[in-house]
Amino acid sequence: MNADAAFLFSLTTLTLVKATPIVYAALGGVISERSGVINIGLEGMMAMGAFTAVVATNFSGSPIAGLIAGIAAGAFFGFVLGLAATKFKVDQIVAGTGINLVAAGAAAYGLVLIFNQPGASPQVNSLGNGYWALVVFAGICALGLSWLLYRTPWGLRVRACGENPHAVASAGLHPLRLRLVAVIASGALAGLGGAFLSVGEVNLYSDGMTAGRGFIALAAVIFGRWTPWGATGAALFFGFFEALQFVLQGRIAWLPSDAMQALPYVAALVAIGGLVGKVRAPASDGVPY
Amino acid sequence: MTRYRRLFAGPLGAVVIALVLAALAMIVAGVSPLDGFAALFGGALGGPHQIAETLVQTTSLLLPALGICLAFRAGLFNIGAEGQLLVGGLFAGTAGAHLNFPAVITIPILLALGFVGGGLWGAIAGWMKARFGANEIISTLMLNFVAASLASYLVSGPLRSSLASGAETAPLLPQGWLPVIIPNTRLTIAIVIALALAAALRFVFARTVFGYDLRAIGEAPEAARRQGVDVRRMTWLALALSGAIAGLGGATIVTGVLHRFNTELSPGYGFTAIAVALVGDLNPLWICVAAFGFGILEAGGLAMQATAQVPKDAIHVIEGLIVIVLAARRYVATRAEGAAI
Amino acid sequence: MIAVDGVDLELRPGDIHALVGENGAGKSTLSNIAAGELRADAGSVSANGTVGLVHQHFQLVGRLRVWQNVLLGREPRNGWMIDVAAARKRVRELAEANELEIDPDAYVDGLPIAIAQRVELLRELERDPTVLLLDEPTAALAPAEIDAFFATIVRLAKRGTAILIVTHKLQEVISYSGRVSVMRRGKIVESFETARTSLDAIARAMVGGELPKVAARAVTAPSPCLVARNLRAGSGSAAISDLSFEVRTGEIVGIAGVEGNGQTTLADAIAGMIAYDGTIDIDGSTGIIPQDRHKEALVMNWSIVENAVFGFQHEAPVRKGVLVDEAVARERARQIVDRFDVRAASLEVAVKTLSGGNQQKLVAGRTLLLDPQFILAYQPTRGIDVGATALVQSRLMEARNRGAAIALISFELDEILALADRILVLYRGAIAGRFDRARADRAQIGRLMAGSR
Repeated sequence: MNADAAFLFSLTTLTLVKATPIVYAALGGVISERSGVINIGLEGMMAMGAFTAVVATNFSGSPIAGLIAGIAAGAFFGFVLGLAATKFKVDQIVAGTGINLVAAGAAAYGLVLIFNQPGASPQVNSLGNGYWALVVFAGICALGLSWLLYRTPWGLRVRACGENPHAVASAGLHPLRLRLVAVIASGALAGLGGAFLSVGEVNLYSDGMTAGRGFIALAAVIFGRWTPWGATGAALFFGFFEALQFVLQGRIAWLPSDAMQALPYVAALVAIGGLVGKVRAPASDGVPY
Repeated sequence: MTRYRRLFAGPLGAVVIALVLAALAMIVAGVSPLDGFAALFGGALGGPHQIAETLVQTTSLLLPALGICLAFRAGLFNIGAEGQLLVGGLFAGTAGAHLNFPAVITIPILLALGFVGGGLWGAIAGWMKARFGANEIISTLMLNFVAASLASYLVSGPLRSSLASGAETAPLLPQGWLPVIIPNTRLTIAIVIALALAAALRFVFARTVFGYDLRAIGEAPEAARRQGVDVRRMTWLALALSGAIAGLGGATIVTGVLHRFNTELSPGYGFTAIAVALVGDLNPLWICVAAFGFGILEAGGLAMQATAQVPKDAIHVIEGLIVIVLAARRYVATRAEGAAI
Repeated sequence: MIAVDGVDLELRPGDIHALVGENGAGKSTLSNIAAGELRADAGSVSANGTVGLVHQHFQLVGRLRVWQNVLLGREPRNGWMIDVAAARKRVRELAEANELEIDPDAYVDGLPIAIAQRVELLRELERDPTVLLLDEPTAALAPAEIDAFFATIVRLAKRGTAILIVTHKLQEVISYSGRVSVMRRGKIVESFETARTSLDAIARAMVGGELPKVAARAVTAPSPCLVARNLRAGSGSAAISDLSFEVRTGEIVGIAGVEGNGQTTLADAIAGMIAYDGTIDIDGSTGIIPQDRHKEALVMNWSIVENAVFGFQHEAPVRKGVLVDEAVARERARQIVDRFDVRAASLEVAVKTLSGGNQQKLVAGRTLLLDPQFILAYQPTRGIDVGATALVQSRLMEARNRGAAIALISFELDEILALADRILVLYRGAIAGRFDRARADRAQIGRLMAGSR
């Protein structure tokens, strides 16, 4: 393999790896927003997923158990947001902000409480090369969500719910229940994305390791026009810039590493700035029923 | 009058419920809530120095919270106070290392630069919203990360001081330091500035044409457009001003607390300030109260970290719980009202 | 306030029962309770079979297809998936059985109102209801469409469906119902056999006395105030093309038409809210009463005082330097409340606590208080009670008598006929007919509104 091919190969593989957690979270964003709930708490749900996965792996020794625990933690926080957004009709942005605060604090405190060391957890067993299965599974999830939303009765109802929950109620269904389930699923996906970060890519949890990926995922949802494949594509786009930053490090002397770290965020900014007028959110996205 | 009763009952009740939940969390974690709260409140209110430190934290939260309040009242979710704070601090710190005028000139210039810096950062999101309709939640969030990268690059590169040990700018000349109110503490006139700004903001909302238009686009954008409000102009102006006030906050931290700029300027004040603004019901005067409450948590959290080895981030759990519980309580209040009609 | 209070109502198979009453009388609440969409605090509803409800504001999902809307919640399955072929077939068969033509694959968003209503009706018919409730079913239909709609309803009744029509259009009640019940303040005050009553008797029962009178028309000397030439704006079904007309001082020009024939585009062009080709010249000051008071005119959380100067905050005397002059605002509010009979506990209450009629009187008052020379009134009495309607209409007439030029856009032909000096009929964005008051022929205008000559 010559140098260029090696460069391309590493850029491609790294893009897939870096995109994976964003794909999971963005799919979570899609399912939640299609049901009519904006999930600002994706970031916190990812953090909880990442942290819980490490804790569970630490005690069980199995990163698989860690993944499951991460999914469960995300789902739990999804349940909290869902409950707030449905039963208690709390402003979704406010509730999501609260969840992000709680999650960040709980993980930081949990590190001290459980591992007795602030900042980062000790190293645990990781998935090793098994994390490639999760990369592939992200694609399967996109496929599955697409199938679910567009082919099944449940998906039709969820989509209707995000457009006009009153119509769903008129059809004798329960819009709040549909939304609650969608937001729980959203949290589960975000939790899996977080778990991938901690026991997949690396083998520990450190404070702030989600680094805004939950928010990037929100941008990916908009960029991907609220469709599973669109959001996946957008996540790959952001993953690419994140990968680029690693691959280019040291290659281009005049470009400082901080500028490269800003790349995915700048890309997200350009994406949402350049797109508008062409996208339409679900009509009842963010509107309490 | 019921409105005020509800406002008061709401936040206060939420605080109580959240503290009870926090106590439960401490019990689960095997910490005595009495010890926990003693460390927290002792660290925040246990003596003049502690109180002064609490007020320093209050100030650092109050300014970005007021900025956020301004944007939220216009219906714009500015989640970017953290970045705006950083850029404001960056402007003030960069100039402060070089300005060599008397204090009466230097300090206003530095604060104004912070105002302008944060304002520019907010205006980017405002321009994107007004020009392209770009969702401000996402753009302000992304700008936070860009600001962090930018600041990190500048202090570790072009602006890095040869005198400093870490990545930071050269220290401010003493003319740029904000006057201290209580000797031997870090409490400066910044708190007076912040409180005056809160009062000014309340006046702007209640009495001025600008405030009227601002609230109109927040409450009913389509009606505002039809009643002659230039919604685009108000949108970018609101986000710019919102950022400017947060940027002023950054400048007061640089001139009043750090006396230099570095990337540790804010331990997330810009995010906590969102909670402060919401808990203060987007009312400038209640936000002052909320900022003091959160100031207690922040200062007490720092003390807990120093004495009990509890990371101060843990207090974010309490803060987040307050936000969630408060929002839920507001629902209960409106539902009770609805039943009465 | 209690919306519905101690109501007894009985429907038998094959009945067509009309429920009439003013806005706010409790008709919609009652039909929602009957359909099980709201829960009653006391009492019971029993039906032998299922109850279907066709909403006034269709409960449809615009971005879904017709078959998806009709079968939402009852999708035919093929394993885990929706059986799309079976779904299409089912909708097509249902439509044929009820003699309703529809394309199952069309998106609801693009459908004309009359067709969208078919979708709403089919969704209810899919459940084979023994009782069908129709809430203001003809509010947005053209006369010809109304006839077709009632043909369907009569067919259903003949097959044994019990039908309850909630409406405020008394002409339809007389034409199609077997019984009529009148609601007032949450109670059924009278119940007639339609054949043995008259339109007047029903109207009196609705209002609980004599109908309020609208101010009389005075003689004026018209001269051009608004001149529109070759106006083009909007796109698709909402577009207007090549409109030319004048509105003169001292006259009301009524713009008649079925909703969705370009009225909103025309209003927005006159208000300067959208770009347009052609010219609109207005001589003098302009006042606008927008169509949707909630979205376009008021800030619901604000007080009457704050709302009283909304739209005037950029000019003296409301603007004083950088401030809003509170004394001026309060004085304006007081004048509006007095002259337009806005009933409120105080000037400080949020307008969301006012009834629709009082909100609309506030909007109209704010616009008319300063005597603008040209007034655009778009559906100025939509969804408000008879008393408020008469007041708003009287104030418009008085403004005309004083020499204001008024363009009145309304979907209610009765309103146009009552107020207008001249009538323009808008059909698909073009003027289909022009009438002077003296020569206005209700039947002919109705035909033009539906697109026939």
